[in-house]
Amino acid sequence: MSEVIKENVVAKSLPVITGSWRSHLPAALPIIGAVLFSLARLELGKQGFPSDGALIVLALACYVASAAFLLTDIYAPSRFMQRTGIWIASLGAFFNLASWGVRWIAAREREMEIILRNGGEMPWVWRYIPFANLYDLSIAFAFGAALTALLLAHRAAGRIIAALSLPLTALILTLAIFIGNDFINLPPVLDSYWRPIHVGVASLSYGIALVCFAIAVLYLLKDGVKPEAMAIWTSIFAIAVTGSINRFGVFFTGDYAASTVFITADGTRISLPLRAELPYVGPLLIAAALLLVGVIGAFAKYLASEDQSVRRWGHRLLKLSLVVQALSVATLVAQLRSSASDLVARIDPRQYVSFGEWVLKQSGATAEQIAALPPTQLQQVANQWITANGASLQLSLKGNPVELAALITALAGTLFVILFSFRTDRLRAALPSLERLDNLMYKTAGITFALLAVLLITGAIWANESWGRYWGWDPKETGAFVAWLTYAAYLHSRIARGWTGRRSAYFAIVGFLLIVFTYLGVSYLLPGLHSYA
Amino acid sequence: MSAVTETKEQVVRAARVPIFTRLLERTLKLLSSVRFGIVLLVLLVIVCMIGMLVMQQNVDGFAEYYAKLTPAQRVLYGALGFFDIYHTWYFNALLLLLSLNITLASIERFPGAWTYIRSPKKTVAPAYLRSQRPNVTFCLNGESVHEVVARIAEACRRAGLKPTITDKGERTFVFAERGAWNRLGAYAVHLALLTIFFGGFMTAQLGRNGLMELAPGMSSSVMSEPRFELNQIKRVGIRLPFTVECVDIQQKLIHKDGPILPNNTIDWLTRIRIHDENGTHEALVHLNNPHDYRGYRFFQASFISLGSARQITVQATSTDGTTHTVVIPRNGSASLPDGTRLDYVQFFPDFRFVNGRPDTASGEYNNPAAQLRITTPLGQEHTAFAFGRALPTELPVAGPVGGYRFRLLDFEKAPLAHVLSIQYDPGARVVYLGFALLALTLALVFFFSHQRVWAMVEPDGTRGYTVTLAGHTNRNQLGFEDRFKRLVQALGQNANEINLSPKKGAKKD
Repeated sequence: MSEVIKENVVAKSLPVITGSWRSHLPAALPIIGAVLFSLARLELGKQGFPSDGALIVLALACYVASAAFLLTDIYAPSRFMQRTGIWIASLGAFFNLASWGVRWIAAREREMEIILRNGGEMPWVWRYIPFANLYDLSIAFAFGAALTALLLAHRAAGRIIAALSLPLTALILTLAIFIGNDFINLPPVLDSYWRPIHVGVASLSYGIALVCFAIAVLYLLKDGVKPEAMAIWTSIFAIAVTGSINRFGVFFTGDYAASTVFITADGTRISLPLRAELPYVGPLLIAAALLLVGVIGAFAKYLASEDQSVRRWGHRLLKLSLVVQALSVATLVAQLRSSASDLVARIDPRQYVSFGEWVLKQSGATAEQIAALPPTQLQQVANQWITANGASLQLSLKGNPVELAALITALAGTLFVILFSFRTDRLRAALPSLERLDNLMYKTAGITFALLAVLLITGAIWANESWGRYWGWDPKETGAFVAWLTYAAYLHSRIARGWTGRRSAYFAIVGFLLIVFTYLGVSYLLPGLHSYA
Repeated sequence: MSAVTETKEQVVRAARVPIFTRLLERTLKLLSSVRFGIVLLVLLVIVCMIGMLVMQQNVDGFAEYYAKLTPAQRVLYGALGFFDIYHTWYFNALLLLLSLNITLASIERFPGAWTYIRSPKKTVAPAYLRSQRPNVTFCLNGESVHEVVARIAEACRRAGLKPTITDKGERTFVFAERGAWNRLGAYAVHLALLTIFFGGFMTAQLGRNGLMELAPGMSSSVMSEPRFELNQIKRVGIRLPFTVECVDIQQKLIHKDGPILPNNTIDWLTRIRIHDENGTHEALVHLNNPHDYRGYRFFQASFISLGSARQITVQATSTDGTTHTVVIPRNGSASLPDGTRLDYVQFFPDFRFVNGRPDTASGEYNNPAAQLRITTPLGQEHTAFAFGRALPTELPVAGPVGGYRFRLLDFEKAPLAHVLSIQYDPGARVVYLGFALLALTLALVFFFSHQRVWAMVEPDGTRGYTVTLAGHTNRNQLGFEDRFKRLVQALGQNANEINLSPKKGAKKD
């Protein structure tokens, strides 16, 4: 064993923060601090206090910085890196929770003004708890993940897990920022005391599941799964993300078109099913996808034949694809932030028929009425609408949050595989033992399973109180059920002879992917009663 | 007897067993295996995912979705039952098989788990102890073995473990444990799941769920239950054992002047009277607050978004210029000082005349007007309209009626009608019982553990005794190791001597 690994082991074995209660301070202080901060905001008013949006950006910056410190600590161990990493993560959790508290107060103040002006009675305080839409859920989810990581971080094994969990947490917050922190008028059915219980449990269970996922990935790495095999999966994911944009539009046309946003007279932002072409992004995405196809081919050949020269080529292509992916995301973000003057001219008229349908649907036309209209008339409706409202169309980072976050996640996936490929043996030696990882994975999966059960139970009781049925196979509840079943399969795989270890870890990974699908896919892709969040 | 002969006899014995019995045994073995259970879970996940991705026929917007599918998709999905996948035979078969698997696997494994409680392993082999994580060996001095054992037992007790002392030949064992009941937790979880499944079955077989549209003054004893057949919805009337009378409906708005749309609403309230052979029962139903009556539950489901008014404020101006303001509730009346009675008959949010009859152009409050019945002190009845906006006096509808001109000063917005959902579900209580059991047992399983410690005490030939202390837990290894450390320290030993990486290979307990 090299000297570095010995040093590493020694550094890891030293507790960063000693004492049983002191070891939990990084997790406890953000909660105490955020409660005090929110109370101060409530007492003193919004003057001089940062907004919830500003606090979330600070939390994101802290999570990214903390992940950088903790990741560096894996390769070049130092107590300074460990302490700094943990306390910056703690500060991030404080900003994260404080943002949530401030949002609660701001939501009440916003509606209080309207209701009191009308002479109405003020509803109860729980009506304004920030669990109303996907933005609220995302910031609570991120806090749940950060808190779990901080609770584990006082142990050596936990710090490595935190190093992987915090970048994922940062991705969740990035998605939240793209979704946007606009307040919504609460759908009346959500005005129930079951909402804080149900959504609170969801945030916590999703957060713990994220940490469980990170542990499962580390388990696979420790167990000898080659980073090249992981690279194949992350490359497939990245290609699938590019393919899913505009229904393979990038691959077929060579162009990338971004979703447009319509700004109403009162400043409300509405995402339109109307895309405007952005130069350079399409070719860059195609180049990245082609490089990733090369990566898949090279690594598949390497895994089959152990050919080292093919492996080296695969890694070169992987690094090149990272650069191209980063360039495509940077180009996309830069253009989304710039205000394009010729936006209407960039809209492909082939979208007019489907956009015309959308316009008519928004104005109350029924499906039958729309189906009765010829395509030319639909095009005319779209054309009229665009001519009248073209000046209020914009490009925005918030136009298609899931798409942008998925592109960044694909980029992060490639980055992590490259990190794992860098001195892999040294990294494996630095990781906790398989038994310890398995133990932590079991613990987090067990808690996730129990909390998902509570999530399903509270959801069912709430549904029975609101809709008169405890189970209706709505996509969101089915999604949560499916994720729960996968964690059940994980727990049972541990007692099935020959299925323990790596196979169990696969179940934990699939479980988390299903949670992400439930959290995002169901809200954005599938119709149902939970379409608001 | 040689091994070859023995094997032949086994084969012959197996051949004598009837094929039916062998098949049954194999089937039972398969049905009770954990691997089969995992396969069933994965299949269930796949079926549910299909149900999520293919829109189900009872979801709003299905007709539109169905119209957009290609003929091939319609035929294929239809033949495979994808449009109503949660009611297909194969989905029910999966649930049934899973229930069987849970039951049989639990029956097969329960005796093993029960052994931990009924006859715990109080003495074990030294090799087994040394294979446990954690384990430690040390020497203790004492007057007698009983004194040493008593010290260990007391230390165990203080560490929260219940000790038992057993002598076995030269050796004396202290066995201490806590949370043995945790071994049964998994079976209780399975029992909870079966209870929920059974409750769900009861709901499917005995439950009834329908809708009832109600406006103030209306009564009904029939609810309509929707039945879905692809893109067609049929409504079947179901008679209730009581009559529901609507007294009042109210919509609490955020912006009082805004529309009666959900995004401007705080709550919908429906006040009802239920009449049956027991008499009359009053109830208030509002969002997230259902009302229970005789096993039936009333929920605020939706509303008919045609604008109406819960109450109106009318100004009556007599021909001599005197004005009076009265507030009249829906279906109610008010009297003026001279005895003229005003009955609030109807409300038009967007008033217009169609074929000489009053009507509304839309459901929005563009031109609000209230239709009144005026009864003069002499008993003559007239129809009058009170408009929200000022009308030219020469218009016939603006002319005086019964000696008064009427103006609609204000009104409280409310929809034309509310829709209540009425549920009869004898399975819900069983499901709730399953939920409670599930939450309780999951807590039992994941937040507690069965922790066992063995101390093997052997005389070392002098006045001292060799103690081999080892422990085992079925979960929460780290927590258990902390407890074990405390136990070792309580016996005056160095906790750093604890072996946390024993050699594997010893016989499992």
